[in-house]
Amino acid sequence: MAIAIRTGAFALVGACAALLAGCASEPPPPPAVAAPAISPDALVGKWGFAAYHRDTDRARTIKEALGQCNKPYVIAKGANGGVMMNLADQADLSELVLKPGPDGKTYLGPPGDAGTADDRIVTNVDPNSFTTTYVDPDNAARYGTSVYERCGQKKA
Amino acid sequence: MNVRKTFLAQAAAAAIAASAALFGGVFALAEQVDMNVVDQPGYVPTPEENQLSGAYERQEVFFRTSEAPGTILIDTNNRFLYLVQPNNRALRYGIGVGRDGFQWQGVEKISRKQEWPDWRPPPEMIERQPYLPRFMAGGPGNPLGPRAMYLGKTIYRIHGTNQPQTIGHAVSSGCFRLVDDDIVDLYDRVPVGTKVIIKQAVQL
Repeated sequence: MAIAIRTGAFALVGACAALLAGCASEPPPPPAVAAPAISPDALVGKWGFAAYHRDTDRARTIKEALGQCNKPYVIAKGANGGVMMNLADQADLSELVLKPGPDGKTYLGPPGDAGTADDRIVTNVDPNSFTTTYVDPDNAARYGTSVYERCGQKKA
Repeated sequence: MNVRKTFLAQAAAAAIAASAALFGGVFALAEQVDMNVVDQPGYVPTPEENQLSGAYERQEVFFRTSEAPGTILIDTNNRFLYLVQPNNRALRYGIGVGRDGFQWQGVEKISRKQEWPDWRPPPEMIERQPYLPRFMAGGPGNPLGPRAMYLGKTIYRIHGTNQPQTIGHAVSSGCFRLVDDDIVDLYDRVPVGTKVIIKQAVQL
């Protein structure tokens, strides 16, 4: 019985110590929301739009995208600072925003957390092109990697 | 979303098959029913989905014709492609054909054969599904499947499909689609220059 009381007292002291230690330090600051490295303006315009599944097809897919400007994918600026694009399998446009992810990647999707199933990852951005891949594994498997080549760009 | 689409397409196919069994005639029904199925670029069907059964399964049949062995005859009404064999026989494959307004007849030759063809959705498909890429490099999951055979100078092809549930239906923009195993089998049997006759109904 005496042993049980003593053990309980030690446990209580330990818990208080842990609590005090916890109180003694400042709570961790909320993660800083960094501005995305890519401006939405970089995505606005008319684009040749093509996709591939095998990395070996990337170079010729980029070339094919340039040849698709007779039926361009048009990205306009949204009313709230985002860009007007289609979500996967959605015929209607939605306003999508660029979101910095905690993993350092830039996501494009509906406003909210970065890296959700409706998002896509944006890479290889330069004034004349960008690349996206869907976060959702099913969409990623079906649509592969999408490349967008700016229409009217001067050929290198 | 995609699972739901696949399920709906399969459910529609199952309902059609059940109706056909009830009313005793998949051929008569095939003439009347079009499937409203959107393309599913990137979708890779399972081996089970690719396995056809019944009339649309690849099989050798009695087939009386004056056409030479090696000729392809396409019967769009009944959704069959025949490859003429000697001695009044033919290999018969189940196919999907052009939907209403996209069916045609004629005599062509296979002008080109292509393994893992690239896919360029037609403009009306882009209008309906603007989220589609305007070009998709060939590979598994490509809507044209693993092989394509081009018909003369037309825009039409005999090709594979990643939607095996559409075999037996009028769904395409005028091309003829076979399940992947069948298109590979046919591709290996016919050379460039093969005569292809497209008719609404083939008289046996």
